[in-house]
Amino acid sequence: MIVRQLGVRQSRQLLALSRRAPASSRFFSSEIPVDTAIQTPTQESIEPLPIAASIPKAQNPLHEVVQVSQAPQGKWAQWEKSKSKFNSLGSLTKDAFDPEDVIRNPPSPSDITLELLLASGTHLGHSTSRWNPQNSRYIFGVREGVHIIALDVTAAYLRRAAKVVEEVAARGGIILFAGTRKGQKRAVVRAAELAGAYHIFERWIPGSLTNGQQILGHCETKVVNAFDKELPDFKQDLADRPSVKPDLVICLNPIENVVLLHECGLNNVPTIGICDTDADPTRLTYPIPANDDSLRSTSLIAGVLGRAGQAGQARRLKMAEEGKLTYEPITVHELKVDPFTGFMPGTEGQKKD
Amino acid sequence: MGKINLTALRVRQTAINQFASGKISKLPQWVDVVRDIPPSEALIRNRPPQHQLVRQRMKTIPGSSQPQVVLEVQEKRRRSKKPSRLFQPVQLKYEEDELRTQFFKDHPWELARPRVLIESTGKDHENYDWSRLRQPGKRLDGESVVQRQLWLLNNVPDMTKDGAYDIARREFYRIRLQEDIERRVAAEEAEAFGANFGPRYLDIGMELEDKQHENWKEWAKTQAQIVGQRAAALSGAPELATESDLEASTGLEGAEAESAQ
Repeated sequence: MIVRQLGVRQSRQLLALSRRAPASSRFFSSEIPVDTAIQTPTQESIEPLPIAASIPKAQNPLHEVVQVSQAPQGKWAQWEKSKSKFNSLGSLTKDAFDPEDVIRNPPSPSDITLELLLASGTHLGHSTSRWNPQNSRYIFGVREGVHIIALDVTAAYLRRAAKVVEEVAARGGIILFAGTRKGQKRAVVRAAELAGAYHIFERWIPGSLTNGQQILGHCETKVVNAFDKELPDFKQDLADRPSVKPDLVICLNPIENVVLLHECGLNNVPTIGICDTDADPTRLTYPIPANDDSLRSTSLIAGVLGRAGQAGQARRLKMAEEGKLTYEPITVHELKVDPFTGFMPGTEGQKKD
Repeated sequence: MGKINLTALRVRQTAINQFASGKISKLPQWVDVVRDIPPSEALIRNRPPQHQLVRQRMKTIPGSSQPQVVLEVQEKRRRSKKPSRLFQPVQLKYEEDELRTQFFKDHPWELARPRVLIESTGKDHENYDWSRLRQPGKRLDGESVVQRQLWLLNNVPDMTKDGAYDIARREFYRIRLQEDIERRVAAEEAEAFGANFGPRYLDIGMELEDKQHENWKEWAKTQAQIVGQRAAALSGAPELATESDLEASTGLEGAEAESAQ
């Protein structure tokens, strides 16, 4: 499986400023999700330097600095202290709504209920005057001048899309989550992290698929084995390869990403997307009729699809441990062969002779 | 490609055709996935669900002693003359709508109270029992009255809309009154234990009004001076001006002293 790093593309300006690019680590998540541990400074790192220890405290100018960096001081420290002291006191808040919860612990496709969809506001469509009549089969009725999307249809289509994501992930396909609206960033990143997929939360650069050699040509690719471990021996063989295309694109806001969907159509990539009552359902292979304007709704749907992808990846890795491959692997010959001439490197001269 | 672009729905056929014609050397991994889970049919119009207003009532039917549940279905609306309206979604109507409109028309300030609209699971209604007005985990508001009224209409024999409204409203007023008293007692208790709630809204209003009066007094003094000087200049007797000024200022001062007392 060849995996392409999309990172450098988005952070070209940052690279130009010769600054450490935070985007390069943020833009791809091919790893199986692990909970990020909070980095706490260890005791060794804050110990005073050995040279400083030999000099008396009064003469050492470093002494003050080292002391300050050792522990948080002032009001913040007081607050932390009092917090830890009184944390166990007071009343307990039970069943309080936490908007982050749907991003942190998204439900799996089997947990989808109509009540959950209703509480997340997936049934709210657009004003009746803005509807796309192609969506009429997903619409339950009109309420206060707004179209109401049928929740049973949403649940059915969401489960179907989740099944597709799971199967594609189980076959080692490359999945791309795209949600470019304001506020969708965290949900998109989390879903991609769960599903071992890629994500885009900024603008889709037009031509990334149709003109990938120009736009993504300088990005890094890698060859991985069945356990998703990188094989660095094939690094030099990946030069001059066409850019990698996704096997499945999941778009949380198809209305703004018409260009992305058009390119997917040109490159024959199946797409999944949230289809509000004003969107065009024929642009997507698997539309999910739901509200795409509410962040809670989009986070829920992205989370469900992410969970489905997680299940698929787990299945693939489990089968790999048993020695079975769920996909047709790329052969060494295919990797070594020159993509332009079609010969193995070093053999061209011999054949010409 | 005509008006409707079906490329997205035909990815599998396209991939198979491309493979057959030699454009791509390998079939994509997802081809059998799309075969097993085909995309839904698009662009097929179904008749949208025709919603009807159903009313449940308990009625004593003449001849039987026990009241029975009667379901009244609203008369079928006359079909629209235009056949193009056939596939358009239908308005959703519920019995509560009328009750809600009536309640909030009579109690418009109930809309000004803060209300929690968020549900975390969507299953809050399972805990509610509208045989009483107060519900666990739900603040008392206009919606409670509407739901209580609906429950009365559905479950009490021979209940009229106005009768149910009166019963629900009376319960609502009683609880609101009780809440007011509880709040007042709590404030008094807190004050007795040394709480300071700061000036009341009335005090703040009075203070602002007093400030405006003071401003007006200063403005009026200068105006009186100007008018007096003008009159003196016209008559050509400047000593008159000083006298009138003095009078004006003393008069105002007197008024000030009175107001202070």
